[in-house]
Formats: sequence, C-alpha cells, structure tokens
Amino acid sequence: MKTTRREFCALGAAALVGLSVKSGRPIAGEFVNDSFQLGHLLRDHAHFPAARQIVRIPLVIVGGGMAGLSAAWRLQKRGFSDFVLLEMNQQPGGNSRWGENHVTRYPWAAHYVPVPGKHAEYVRELFTDLGVFQDGKWDERYLCFDPQERLFLHGRWQEGIEPQADLTVADRDQFRRFADLTHSFRASGGFTIPLEIGLSSRHAALDRMSFADWLSKNGFDSKPLLWYMNYACRDDYGALAADTSAWAGIHYFSSREPEEKGPLTWPEGNGWVARQLLARVGKFVRADQMVHLIQRDRVSFRVDAGDTEYRCSCVIFAAPTFLAPYLIDGMPHLRDFQYSPWLTANLTLESIPESHGLQPAWDNVFMDSPALGYVDAMHQSLRTFADRTVWTFYWALAEGTPAANRQMLLQKDWSYWKEAILTDLERAHKDIRKCVSRIDVMRMGHAMVRPAVGTIFSPERHALKKSEDRLYFANSDLSGISIFEEAQFRGVTAADRALHALGRSS
Amino acid sequence: MAVLLFISVLLIAACGLIYELIAGTVASYLVGDSVFQFSTVIGSYLFAMGIGSFLSRFIRRGLAYRFVWIELVVALVGGFSSGLLFLAFAFTQGFQVFLYFIVIVLGILVGLEIPLLMRIIRDRYHFHEVVSHILTFDYIGALFASILFPVVLVPYLGLVRSALFFGIVNAAVALWGTFLFKGQLPSPRRLQVMCAIVMAVLIAGLVNGKRITGLAEDNIYADEIIFSRDTHYQHIVLTKWKDDLRLFLNSHLQFSSRDEYRYHEALVHPGLSAVPVPRHVLVLGGGDGLAVREVLRYPQVESVTLVDLDPEMTHLFSTHPFLTALNQKSFLSPKVHIINADAFLWLDSSQDVFDFIVVDFPDPTNYSLGKLYTTVFYSTLSHHLSRQGMFVVQSTSPMFARKSFWCIAETVKQAGFKTYPYHVYVPSFGEWGYVLGSQHDYAPPSSLPQGMRFLTLAGFPGMFEFPPDMAPVTMPANHLNDQVLVRTYDREWREISH
Repeated sequence: MKTTRREFCALGAAALVGLSVKSGRPIAGEFVNDSFQLGHLLRDHAHFPAARQIVRIPLVIVGGGMAGLSAAWRLQKRGFSDFVLLEMNQQPGGNSRWGENHVTRYPWAAHYVPVPGKHAEYVRELFTDLGVFQDGKWDERYLCFDPQERLFLHGRWQEGIEPQADLTVADRDQFRRFADLTHSFRASGGFTIPLEIGLSSRHAALDRMSFADWLSKNGFDSKPLLWYMNYACRDDYGALAADTSAWAGIHYFSSREPEEKGPLTWPEGNGWVARQLLARVGKFVRADQMVHLIQRDRVSFRVDAGDTEYRCSCVIFAAPTFLAPYLIDGMPHLRDFQYSPWLTANLTLESIPESHGLQPAWDNVFMDSPALGYVDAMHQSLRTFADRTVWTFYWALAEGTPAANRQMLLQKDWSYWKEAILTDLERAHKDIRKCVSRIDVMRMGHAMVRPAVGTIFSPERHALKKSEDRLYFANSDLSGISIFEEAQFRGVTAADRALHALGRSS
Repeated sequence: MAVLLFISVLLIAACGLIYELIAGTVASYLVGDSVFQFSTVIGSYLFAMGIGSFLSRFIRRGLAYRFVWIELVVALVGGFSSGLLFLAFAFTQGFQVFLYFIVIVLGILVGLEIPLLMRIIRDRYHFHEVVSHILTFDYIGALFASILFPVVLVPYLGLVRSALFFGIVNAAVALWGTFLFKGQLPSPRRLQVMCAIVMAVLIAGLVNGKRITGLAEDNIYADEIIFSRDTHYQHIVLTKWKDDLRLFLNSHLQFSSRDEYRYHEALVHPGLSAVPVPRHVLVLGGGDGLAVREVLRYPQVESVTLVDLDPEMTHLFSTHPFLTALNQKSFLSPKVHIINADAFLWLDSSQDVFDFIVVDFPDPTNYSLGKLYTTVFYSTLSHHLSRQGMFVVQSTSPMFARKSFWCIAETVKQAGFKTYPYHVYVPSFGEWGYVLGSQHDYAPPSSLPQGMRFLTLAGFPGMFEFPPDMAPVTMPANHLNDQVLVRTYDREWREISH
C-alpha cells in the first residue's frame, strides 16, 4: 500500500500530537471484603452442616468488630480468659478493618477517634493502655497532623469543612445562631459520649422529628448551613438530615468540645486500634467462623459456628443486632433498626495529583458531591516526602431508600463505581486518572446503624440494652449511633455484665 | 533570484556561527574557564570547517541534492546541540568528549556548505562574482549572528531554544534550496517532505525545550543556570556569575559561594566548639556538604553521619568539580557516612547517639517540611543526644520572619531543652538565625578551629544579643497537629515580598 503525501503528513501530525498527549494508565481493582453472601445465607435459612465437635466454654463473644474486641479487652484486663470470640470474616475488625499494600496501610471504614472527653472513661483507659495517652498528654504522633480538613467549593479549596467562602451576612448569622444553640445543648449535659450517660427524657421530643424539620422550624434556611448539616448526617449516620432524628443531628454537634485539637488518627485509621487490640486478645479470636445458630437451653447456650458447637453459659452478641433474629432461636424480628448502605474505595496513587490553591489535607471534601470525599493515608506519616499514597474514598448512599441502594450495590459492577469515583474526584483533581493504579471497592449493605426518627428513644432498643439472662447485646447499633466510643462502651459494659453473671466480678 | 540566494548564504553563515557560540557558551557555563573553552571550541570548529572544505572535493555529483541533505543534518545536529550538551553534562561523565565531538561534526558539515554552494551556482555567475558575493554575505551573516546572540537570543530565548530556532532556519534554507535548485534535483518532492519532517521535529523540540533542561526558569534566576535537574525529590538549580555559585532547591536559595562560609561557620562552630569531646556528629539535611566541611575541622571527630533525602544531591556534591572545590571534598572523607533517607523516619528508627547534631533543613515553607520543626521532632532528636550533647537548628531570619524564628525557639524549648538563640549577618540571606538546644547550660567556646573566615570569639556576645527589631516575641510552639510555624512563616515572608 502506497502512502500518499497527504496521508503521510496527517500521520506525522498525529504522531506529534500523540507525543504530547499522555495516555491514562490502566486502572486495576475489584470488589473486596464482600460479606453479604454470608449474610444472605442466614437470611435465606440456608442449610448448615452439622457440628463435628463440641467445645464447652463459659463465654462466647459473637462478632469481632470494635464492640467484640473491646469486650475481649475488658475480660482479659479483669483476669478472665475462658472465652472465645467468633468472627464471621477472615479479618476481624468490623468497621475498623484495614488493608495494606506496597505504599502504606489504609483504613477500610472508620478512620479516626475524636479526642475522648471526660465521660469517655473506657476510651481513655484503652488509650492509656496503648500508650496514646501518657502523663495526662496525648501523644502528638497520633493527633491528626496539620492541615486536617479542606473543602472544595466554587472551584477552589478552603481550609476546614464548614463553608467559609462567599457567605452572605445572613449565612454567617445562621452559622452563629446554630453555634449558640449547640452550645446550650452541650451545656445541658444531655448530649454525651457515650450517649447513655446523658440520655434524658427532657430531650425525647427531639427524637420524634427529623433533623431537617428541626432546622426548618428553627428558621435555618441558609444553603451553606444546610449543606453542612446534611454533610454531617451523611458522614456520621449515612443519612440525609431529613432521614435523621433531630436528637442525633444535635448530638453530632453538641457532644464534643469544639476546641479539641484532634482527632486521633493513624494511617490505617481505626485499624490501628484493632491491630493493637488483636495483639492483646487475638488468641481468643476464631476468624472465618460464622455463627449460624444460637439456641438457649435451660441453663446454657448452644452456639453453632462452622463445624463446632459451643456450649456456654453466657453470650455477648457484638455483631450487628439486625442479624440476631436470624441466629437466635425464637427472637422476634426488629422494627427499629435501620442501617445505611455504604461504599468505600481505596485508591492507590502512584503519583500525587495536582491540588491547586491549598496544600493537601487529611480529610478532603467536595461540596457538590454525593460522596463524602477522601482521606489520605500518608498524611499521618512522619515522612516529609511522599510521592505515592492511598486515598480512602467514602460514599454513604444516603439519597433514596436504603433498600433501593442496597439493590444498586449488588447490581452495579466494579467499572461503574470506578467511573463514578474518578468522575467525582475529577472535580478538583483533573489529572487523577494519570495517578491512580488501583481502585478496590468495598460494598457494605448494612454499614452503620441509622439514627432515624424514633431510634434513640425506641422502646425496642431500650429492652435489648437491658436484656438480662446471660445474653448481652453489645453492638454500637444499640446506641443508635455507629461510632467507636459507643461500640467500645457497649462491648465493655456487656463484658462487665457477663462477668457478673458468671460470678467473676470482683 | 540572486538576492534570495545570497540571503540563504547569510542565513547559513549565521547558523554556523551561532552553533559555535552556543557550544562555547555552554562549555563556559558548565565547566568554567571561559577563555579556554572559547579558544578551544572556536579553534576546533574552524579546523573542522577546514576538513569540511577539504572533503567537499570528493563530492562530485548530485551537488544540490547533497547540499540540501547537509543542511538538514546541520539543522538537526545544530538544533539539538545545546540541549544535548546540557543533558550530556547532567547524565554522563564525558561532557568534554561529547562537546568536541559535536563541535567537530558541526564544523565539518558547515565547512562543506560554502564550497558546495559555490560550485552549484558557478554556472550562473562569473567565478570572481561568485567568490565575492558569497564571501560578502558570509561575513555579513557572521556579524548579524554575533550581534544577535548576546543581545536577543541568550536573554530572550536561552541557549537551548536559540539552537533549536537556528536549526529551524537551517531546515528552512534546505527547503528553500529545493525550490532554488529545482532543475538540479532528481526528486524535489521527496526532499521537501524530509525538510518538513525535520522542521516539525525541531519545532516540537522548541515547544518542549523547556522541559528538557528546565531552562524555562531562566527568568527567575538572576544568573546563568549551569545545572538544572528535576530529581525524584526536588528541583536542583546551580547558577554561576563570575565567581559566585548559587544553589537553589525548588527555587529557594540555599547558598551563595561568596558568603556561605558565614552561614556554615555560624551554623556549626558556636555549638560544636562548646561540646567537650565531640566524637560523633550527625548532620540532618545539608546535602551540599558545607556543614560537614566545617565539622571536619575538628580532628577529634571520629564520624560524621549525614542524612539527606536526595541521593542525586549528595552525588552531585561528591562529584561535581565546582562543588567539591567548595565543600573541600567533605563527602569523600572516610569519616563521613552518607545516608539517603527521610530524616524524621530515619531518626525515629535509628538507635545511634551523637555528641552534636546539626539540623539544617530548608525553611518551613509547607506542612511537610513543617513536620521537621515540631515538638515531636525535637523530642525524637533528644533520644539521639549523648549526655553532653547539643544540637543546633537553622531557624530562618529573626529579622524578616521574627515570629517564625521565635516560634522555632519556643518549640525547641517545649520539647524539653534549654535554648540559646543567636544570629549572624549573611549578605545573600540577610540577618540569619539559629537556635542551640541543650539539656545543660551552654557557655560559649574558649577557642575555635583554625581557619575561620568569619567567626571570632570576640564576636560571640554580639551574636547572642538580639537588638529590639529582632527581640523575642511570645509565640506558641509548633505541633504536628497545629503547625503554627508554617502559617506564620508564610504570612511573614509574604509581607516582605509585597
């Protein structure tokens, strides 16, 4: 075939253009840590093989997330070691699971713990044990390095997540008025962490309306303020303000000291705490052991997991409570437990994307995004030079019903989420596709409990919290709020009650 | 027709001279000793032109065709000569060999041009006219080039792009030749396509030329850039003007060879001379080897460990003749151990103990560098100090960044040290400050090593005295989770630059 001159010139021009256009790198990745298949086995009453051995042990903890691990930590500290912890997944940690690659460790879900206030006595005790809190001071290596947060709005970055740029006088007034209101709620002592300590019927009315209604009733209509309120609810509860109890919305803002210099964080997020706990109580943990039956006899429990039947006198149920009716023989189904579906992704970046205007922060949020932004795993490294990193991308599927979003999580393939994530990040990082080499996606149908209207003061929840008779519920969803401190509080108190029942409390 | 022909002669001549000037200039910038460089470059170039003229006799047929081809080769070799010379300097050890190779190749090719051209057009004019016209335009071209080079090309285009620009001119002459000598060419079309390709390559080079050597920044540096490289970690630029050699990292001046001894004597000796028996010394940062040079003045020092992030930086200062002359080959001393690592991570994992530590990091211009000026950093440092040990921190200017300076002092203090801040005047920096940190009381030394060019014992009291415009201000310490210093520093230096 003879090339004409015109074709030749066109080829040459194309070659020249081609030289200057960098091609995007191929991006690998997959769905990881899927656990809904196991959950669906329970839901669909699948047949499980009969046990091949019987183990007699005084206490079984079901669930190796933060609540279960905290219960184990408490038991061990009180000198009790006749127990096992059964974890359904291969990797314990629950929402504090972490990953590791050639660049760094990174979180899969929970990635920080606010500096605990005076009520969070067990959290302070734990951090004292772990050397994070020493001689009345927090080890600064574990306090989130500066700069903590930035927000991308109107095409540029600003420091902090609370919108500051281009606010009208009215907007500023509303932010100020909201701050005053949260201050007085804080001063009332009714909004504490753990929430059990301050919980008071004085504020029960707030649990009967949505946070959005409460905001509107109090004359808050500033767009930036409402965005911020919704962001807070999506971030902590996976729900919009309209789907969140006003009590929970207020708790978010009123339960913490505003001037704290935190939070505590680690490259692998709360995975660091999980790792430290596992180093201490890992010997009690049986991973990859899905409990499929809990049956109460007259004086004992039968707990079936894998090929083992455990015979115990006490059970701490630290797995998500919505699973309990599928496992516990005779337990009625629950009405007041709603959960938010989430998606997290870890992006491996072989180079650092451009970030015009402001230096990269730990938590990076985009104002007009349905997702929650990303956290940089290398931020908490002591190194001064990082040319690669891992970003954990958070996405609470808050718009629409949880059921529909769970359906979507199951239906859409990996490429769909990859594209959605990259498109979202392109708002601020035009060159993101050139930097990313891998995107692993974790789908969680029931990522966290949702404090919907009526959740906090739900009588059903109250009954489960008080449950006696050697079966103790310990998941943070009992609080109605899925945070580290609640999980730890529930785990520790369940351990104490179990020890009491076993006659071991001294 | 005739005028256009002779303008091509003028352009060819200009191109030839430009390549020669560029080679001479690049060599003087990079290697120094401009008299030697220019003499040898011009000499070998002229000699090579003679070889070219001689060789022209062996070209018997297809004169016009070969002339066009020679023009194209000159266009490519000459056009990329400057960029290739810079790259050869940066990436090979054989710069001189490459320099004379390029000069001789170009000289031969340029030497071929005029004799061939004379023979091509000899049928059109009388012989005496041909010689007269061609030589006249040849010399006019030389004048044109020699004025254009210093006045327009170097200041506005820089060396790399000047060469590329004249490469394009050469290729244009070749293209023009295909029209002028149409009758004498077997396949002018094909040659024209070749000309277009060569021009396209050169234009692409011109557009991307900035990236090749980073000379795009020519205008932000006052002096000539003699070295420029993007390493994995930073952008290193060396500039030279007469005897003043300057190092810039990411566009920030690190030293000027005219007064760096003031900075480095003041950095090292007030502390190190006061340590009773300094055996082991650690230098953090300081990849230029200048602080190490000062440390090596103490015969009792048995080992110097230098931790610097960038291996290319320490390699450059171990090998480049200008730079090893400046640091007196300090990196080649058997006492010196170079570790290329992230200083904070290294400190955090090392168990080594030192009698004196020099902390010589770039100023806290961003949050990453700011980590090296935090309470956690200095308390980590304290695990590496011997009982009598002491350390010094370069602490920016107490004059221009007064709050930043006192913030660093406060940070060292809150990390559990007694602090002894002092300052000196370094002309290229202005007033500069240091903070000595120690677990015990500090008394200025009673003697200094031989050969001080700046420090005197009598000058010590003044160094520790801060006049009112630099006097202490109350500042909070700089913490990892609250980098007051980075924000303060940014504000203070921005105020100065406005």
